[in-house]
Amino acid sequence: MSGPPLRPHDTSRVWLTRLVERRIGLLFAAFLLLLALAAGRAAWLGTVRADDLRGRAADQQVSDLEVAARRGAVTDRHGVELAVSEDTVTVFAHPFLIERPDIVARQLAGPLDRSVKGLTGKLSDRRRGFVYLGRKLDPEVGRAVEKLEVEGVETVAEPRRRYPQRELAAQLLGTVGTDNYGLSGLEQSREETLHGENGRRRLVKDALGKPISIVDQRRAVPGDDLRLTLDAAIQERTESVLEEVGKRYAARGATALVLDPRTGELLAMANWPAVDANRPDAALSPAHQNRAVAASYEPGSTFKAFTMSGALEDDLIEPETPFSLAPTIRVADRVIKESHGRGAVVLSAAEILAQSSNVGSVTIGLRLGARRFDHWVRRFGFGQATDVDLPGEGTGIVPRPGDYSGSSMGNLPIGQGLAATPIQMAAAYAGIANGGIVHRPHVVAGARAPARRVISERTARRVSRMLEGVFGPGGTAQEAQVPGYRLAGKTGTAQKPDGFGGYSNSKYVASFIGYAPARNPRLLVAVAVDEPRGEIYGGAVAAPAFEKIVSFALPYLRIPPD
Amino acid sequence: MYASPVKQAAGDARAPRAWLEGLDFAMVAAAIGLVAVSVYTLTMATQDDVPGSPLYYVVRQAVYGVVGLGLMFMVARFDISRLREYQRLMYATMVGLIALVFVFGVAARGSKRWIELPFFRFQPSELGKVLLILALSAFVVDRIRRLGNRDVTGRIVLLALFPAILVVAQPDLGSGLVYLAIAAVIMFVAGTKWTHLAALAGLATASVGIALLVAPAVGVEVLKPYQVDRLTAFVNPTEDPQKQGYQLRQSITAIGAGQKLGRGPDGATQTRLDFLPEHHTDFVFSVVGEQLGFLGAALVLSLYALLLWRALRILTSAKNLYGALVAGGVIAMLMFQVFVNVGMTVGIMPITGVPLPLMSYGGSSVFVTFLAIGLLQSVNAQARAAELAKARELAAA
Repeated sequence: MSGPPLRPHDTSRVWLTRLVERRIGLLFAAFLLLLALAAGRAAWLGTVRADDLRGRAADQQVSDLEVAARRGAVTDRHGVELAVSEDTVTVFAHPFLIERPDIVARQLAGPLDRSVKGLTGKLSDRRRGFVYLGRKLDPEVGRAVEKLEVEGVETVAEPRRRYPQRELAAQLLGTVGTDNYGLSGLEQSREETLHGENGRRRLVKDALGKPISIVDQRRAVPGDDLRLTLDAAIQERTESVLEEVGKRYAARGATALVLDPRTGELLAMANWPAVDANRPDAALSPAHQNRAVAASYEPGSTFKAFTMSGALEDDLIEPETPFSLAPTIRVADRVIKESHGRGAVVLSAAEILAQSSNVGSVTIGLRLGARRFDHWVRRFGFGQATDVDLPGEGTGIVPRPGDYSGSSMGNLPIGQGLAATPIQMAAAYAGIANGGIVHRPHVVAGARAPARRVISERTARRVSRMLEGVFGPGGTAQEAQVPGYRLAGKTGTAQKPDGFGGYSNSKYVASFIGYAPARNPRLLVAVAVDEPRGEIYGGAVAAPAFEKIVSFALPYLRIPPD
Repeated sequence: MYASPVKQAAGDARAPRAWLEGLDFAMVAAAIGLVAVSVYTLTMATQDDVPGSPLYYVVRQAVYGVVGLGLMFMVARFDISRLREYQRLMYATMVGLIALVFVFGVAARGSKRWIELPFFRFQPSELGKVLLILALSAFVVDRIRRLGNRDVTGRIVLLALFPAILVVAQPDLGSGLVYLAIAAVIMFVAGTKWTHLAALAGLATASVGIALLVAPAVGVEVLKPYQVDRLTAFVNPTEDPQKQGYQLRQSITAIGAGQKLGRGPDGATQTRLDFLPEHHTDFVFSVVGEQLGFLGAALVLSLYALLLWRALRILTSAKNLYGALVAGGVIAMLMFQVFVNVGMTVGIMPITGVPLPLMSYGGSSVFVTFLAIGLLQSVNAQARAAELAKARELAAA
């Protein structure tokens, strides 16, 4: 040892005394201060900041999730599934937990069917706490991913809406968003029935984001199934017929509906162009419209049946009442011509309807007068919604008599200057077919639809007989036949408004409404083709479609021939 | 050298109780209390850490505590003044053991601090703390009259700096700083000139500045980047779990969530769900804060205050300078660790892996802390014996 040795005892006592005086006090004070500092800070955290920090702890540990309820299925009248829910798996990752994004990406690329490069990019973004790798995938994909047991990659079950019949009634069914709420069509309007009640799930996670406990605070209640009155087979045939017509005449669009006039049940409601319900984004937005209820058009000649009904009901004419008709008729400043020019003729009321005479119909309309005409038009339900149980229904446009111009009664009786929806036209014709009683059209099975009488049974029968004549010699649809069945119906060829207050010379709506069997109607079909090219007449464009649909549906429904 | 008073006491008629003679019971109680809180805390905090063995850490910590307590009693009966002669041997042993880690060391989390022994992992840097206290105190006592000499101050600093640098290189920054704190307090207690202390403080500040700011800027790596991160993290904590600030954030959240009275063993979710890292070692104080609230934290800090108060009393009553300096070194070691560790968990000190004495799980730390308390007990026992002898002399006179 170096340095001078210490002498025992006395010397050290002296040193110690000095130390106590000079420095131990300071040391003690310093230590006390540090301890107090630490204690003070702990106290501050445990009292002042306590609530805030407890909240922060809860935030990172507990998360409440909305558990989507399984949507109810939509089926046709025989239980054929039109819309169903199926379980899918969504795969997501916490990039900050993934050490080697390149390796994980290679593992996942196979099952997820994604490129390694793309996945590596997603997984490498460490600033992201959460990233989707694939949403609503098939359950097998989910199981394959779970099997890999990659830390930081997780799966969660999500229901997905699927439409097994693809295009079938797609516009009517509508669409569902990724969050499982209906966006359009029945999916939207029947949200309450279909959706069920979402559940709430409390998830407690550990530091790695692994769920420690999953408690269902509220169980999800699955939605109820919805059975429709539609018949998938008739719907399918209606759609294929419509597609054929639409393509053949390069139409802008087409719609058709089939209903049972005795009940108002819709058996089919089709719109063309078609939409694949499983890939709604692939179709242009006009195609998504359910034209059958939403689109208004000037009905044209098909409307003449209501002019006739009103005049018959008011006892102004009989079916046999003869009318001497000049080639044209002048109403105020307007001259109304026939679609096919002719000389002066004498036609009975029935012949006027069968041959779709404009001059004759206007003559009868003038006999009826504006006030009574308006009365019957509204009684048939025009100018107001039919209250069909589908969303987005239009009301059409029917001018009030007070707003008529001098020439209004020159075109209203022949279905010009007013607008109606296909469903309104179908419902009103169903009234004629059904002995004067209109049932509210509907597509959801079960509910008993209210009915109201619009014309007497006798008038209905008489108009119906007149509509049979449309298929007879000289009628506008004489080529349309279904062997063994008597048919009734009316053609319509309406010029479309040109947007400048007049009518277009090239744009038409060709339509046909008819029913069968004529004497005991079970089936009513309305077809409207928007802007057909090459051929414009309802008898040529729409009547064959009617014929095809009816000739399938009658035997299919085992309706006996007359 | 003078005769050992312990021998006289041992020869006393009250022999059966003799080994308890001269013990400071308040300090023993504080130490036992801390181990008890540690064991209680670990019971909940570590139950899921070792699958299938929920009491893995609890049983071991309890055993370390009991063995440590025995170690303390043994050391207390020994007159540590006799160790002065072996200062060179102790210093060489310290350096040798620390150096051994570089050869036989077991790496854990990127750091080689341990040597695998049959029953536990021995951490030489822990034992080194006590060896440094004993050796450096002896060195200072030998030069007590030339303490005003700049040369002596410089040599003391170098003696502490050398092992400290070895430890920092393991890398174990926290323990290295403990070595320097020990040296500083020993010099302070011994009476090193204020001017020297001030100069050293300035030098230390400058070094920290260079290591943290200047060196990284010019591209020289004095500290590893993660160490710089840890030291600066408490200024701006982040949420990235792989960044150092995350630990701090979770620790503060845990302590705050404990509120005044704690969330109980089951409600302490920060710990149970593993949000709080290193909850059985470096961040055990945060676990206490979450489980037992501020009440628990205050209890633990009070036990340390009791321990240090008794230690300072022993320092003032030491029989000789060597005992006083050793007591000072022990106080420095304990106090520095308590403050740095607790300060780290509450966010007022940087994150350095310093264990909380007697609370953090770990054999080396618990043994060495009891060893150090044993040294204090020995100093106390010597002082009591000397007083007794003096009283007898007076009575005889």
